[in-house]
Amino acid sequence: MSTFSGLNTATTALWAQQRGLDVTGQNIANVNTAGYTRQRAELQSVGGNVVPAVYAVSSQVGQGVDADKVIRIRDAFLEGRAQIESASTARMTAQDATLTQIEQAFREPGETGIAAKLTAVFTAWGDVANHPTENGARTAVLQKTATLVAELHTTSGNLEKQWVQTRDSLGALAQDVNAKAQSIADLNTAIKRATQSGLPVNELSDKRDGLVLELSAAIGVTSSPGDDGQVNVSVGGATLVAGGNALRLEAVDTQDPDTQQVTATRFVTDPGGTTVAVDGTAGGKLSALNDTIPKYRERLDEVARSIAAEFNNAHMAGVDKNGVAGEPLFDDGSGDVPVDTAPGTSRITAANLTLRFDDTDKFAAAALATEGTATSDNRNAAALAQLQNASDGAAVGYRSLIVKLGVDASVATSNLKTQTVVAAQVDASRDSVSGVNLDEEMTNMLQFQHAYSAAARMITAIDETLDVLINRTGRVGL
Amino acid sequence: MRITQRSMTLTSLQGLNRNQEAIAKLQEQLTSGKSINKPSDDPTGTNAAMQTRLELSTATQHARNISDGIGFLDSTDSALQSMLNQTRVVRDRTVAALNIGAMSDAARAATATEISGIRDSLIGLANTTVQGQPIFGGITSGSVAYDTDGRYQGYGGTGVVPATPAAGGQPAVAEVPAVPVVPVTRQVSDADAVRVDITGPEAFGDPSVGDLFALVADIAADTVSDPAALSGHLVKLDEAMDRLSNALADIGSRTNRIETAQQVNSDLQLSLTSRSAAVENVDLPKTIMMLQMQQVGYEAALGATAKVLQPTLLDFLR
Repeated sequence: MSTFSGLNTATTALWAQQRGLDVTGQNIANVNTAGYTRQRAELQSVGGNVVPAVYAVSSQVGQGVDADKVIRIRDAFLEGRAQIESASTARMTAQDATLTQIEQAFREPGETGIAAKLTAVFTAWGDVANHPTENGARTAVLQKTATLVAELHTTSGNLEKQWVQTRDSLGALAQDVNAKAQSIADLNTAIKRATQSGLPVNELSDKRDGLVLELSAAIGVTSSPGDDGQVNVSVGGATLVAGGNALRLEAVDTQDPDTQQVTATRFVTDPGGTTVAVDGTAGGKLSALNDTIPKYRERLDEVARSIAAEFNNAHMAGVDKNGVAGEPLFDDGSGDVPVDTAPGTSRITAANLTLRFDDTDKFAAAALATEGTATSDNRNAAALAQLQNASDGAAVGYRSLIVKLGVDASVATSNLKTQTVVAAQVDASRDSVSGVNLDEEMTNMLQFQHAYSAAARMITAIDETLDVLINRTGRVGL
Repeated sequence: MRITQRSMTLTSLQGLNRNQEAIAKLQEQLTSGKSINKPSDDPTGTNAAMQTRLELSTATQHARNISDGIGFLDSTDSALQSMLNQTRVVRDRTVAALNIGAMSDAARAATATEISGIRDSLIGLANTTVQGQPIFGGITSGSVAYDTDGRYQGYGGTGVVPATPAAGGQPAVAEVPAVPVVPVTRQVSDADAVRVDITGPEAFGDPSVGDLFALVADIAADTVSDPAALSGHLVKLDEAMDRLSNALADIGSRTNRIETAQQVNSDLQLSLTSRSAAVENVDLPKTIMMLQMQQVGYEAALGATAKVLQPTLLDFLR
């Protein structure tokens, strides 16, 4: 064993503790950085020669400490769960937002929605029943009916606008996803090169894993480790990023809500055109486009059809002010006589429902034509006013639509609440592994400080022994 | 579990957010005064609220129908009362005119003139209108029920086919007007519609076989020309007065019915209003109490957060 090997051991200790302090400093500096993973200097004792040479003498004491490696402290299982949970949270958030927006389109319960407007029409017919020949009451029916039609148009238009906006946002989403996938691929390449040349990659890896998590929320990707510190990213079974290569995604098919029933909107790979099953925000938006919004539009159309059928049938049973048989009140805007009011054949929707005339004399308040003379019979008007109590009428159909919407929306909200709690728990456990705790860093700092002082003291001690050996030994009699 | 500063901050933030969310919800309820602001707040409550609103507006419409119907019935009642009184005067004069020897020709002529005058007044009363609608005209859209000659202009009740008693194996047939009466009704509740009119033929007799106005005209004429026929007219006049009394009784009973409906309707409106309020409106004391509690919770959370996030080991190292 060399005379100076003790000094060397102490020097490695000084370096190692210095390194520990550096890493502590980096941790403290990034205590509030989102996505930062705490690091640790891996201290390792340096042993003696493993294979003793013929003339070598091993003192059986180690050669000090080595702190070359700095690692990230993270739990791969928790990271994987975080990806899955953030995808679910994002999907449920999108679904909840969709239903909230639909609720806003309907504005129920209240004085401004379709229910109130429909009731006003019935009430106006009740007034006509009281004064069948009076033009004021008839004008009220005309105005209230026109308001109801306008309200149906507005609500249907709101739903359509919501669909178009959601569809447009998919394009932006796809661009964002493609940009992030490309960044991940670039980082993968950088990490591979750095790893191969033995450079630290902790910060690059943090940045990449953050991007993967963002992609999880956007389209629900999962990641698996690859060679040389790279990760492979896949979505719904299809590989999105493999090492340094990224695939592009695009949203395809119909931009028109009315053709939605035929072709579903979806994400496909570009190039390739393979449909990809996505989750996350994209999944939530796709379910809004392909399922939720069309469903409520269809139900609103059904309400419009049942309003048309109900009023047309009742109105055609009467005679108008001039003794002529009542015409149908509503059609689909084409001006054709709506003979196809039977279920399944009608072309009437909430968007095209149209009042066929604006001549108040044509409202059929009477049930009986008195030959050639006008009549003040009110029975048909009374029958129309009574329609609002019909057990399978439009009012009931609309109410069941609103109740369904309420149930759907409240289920979506409570699901989201539950999911948020789960996601928060996963985040917390992830953070409990990879987050920076200042108390811990302070303790580490003290530890390294003391170790550093001790190593320095060690050097002093060796220095003193050498001093004794060199300067004081063999000086007897000098 | 290892706790870090960042996770502690995030958890505190989440807790504070939840608190604020709850406060915002209560505040929304208090400022709007409604506990249901969108269907998802309470789907079943929404259903009840919409149904109650519908029922309430129906009940309000029924109330309008009822007051309209009462107006119609009251006018009919007072017109019929006056007509009955005037017909009674005609009867008095007819009885007086029956005493053939006791009256001079001049007195007869005067009586005839008086009766003719009363007939004009009767026709005037029979043309009473409510909002332009002649109340004895059925569903006519004309402005009068009888013209100045006492001819019926309304719709329904004329050309009565008389009742036949059961005979020779044939069942009895009730009296049927050739032109059926179309009742003018007012919907007074979901299930109940009350007829508010009575047509001229029903109250004054079928014009095709001679109604009240034709009879009075005959009396006026025969007072001068053929006093002997008056006793026959007197019998018919008694029948006409019976018919008038019956019509009055009919109108009276219908008025009763519609007034009962009015009482029921106002009770219904009251209970619907309170039901609607119970479903939709906020329970003010309860919500304010909950807001207070939530506020206390929020302040406690803020205080705790301030205490917990402040210190680290850093504060205690020299």
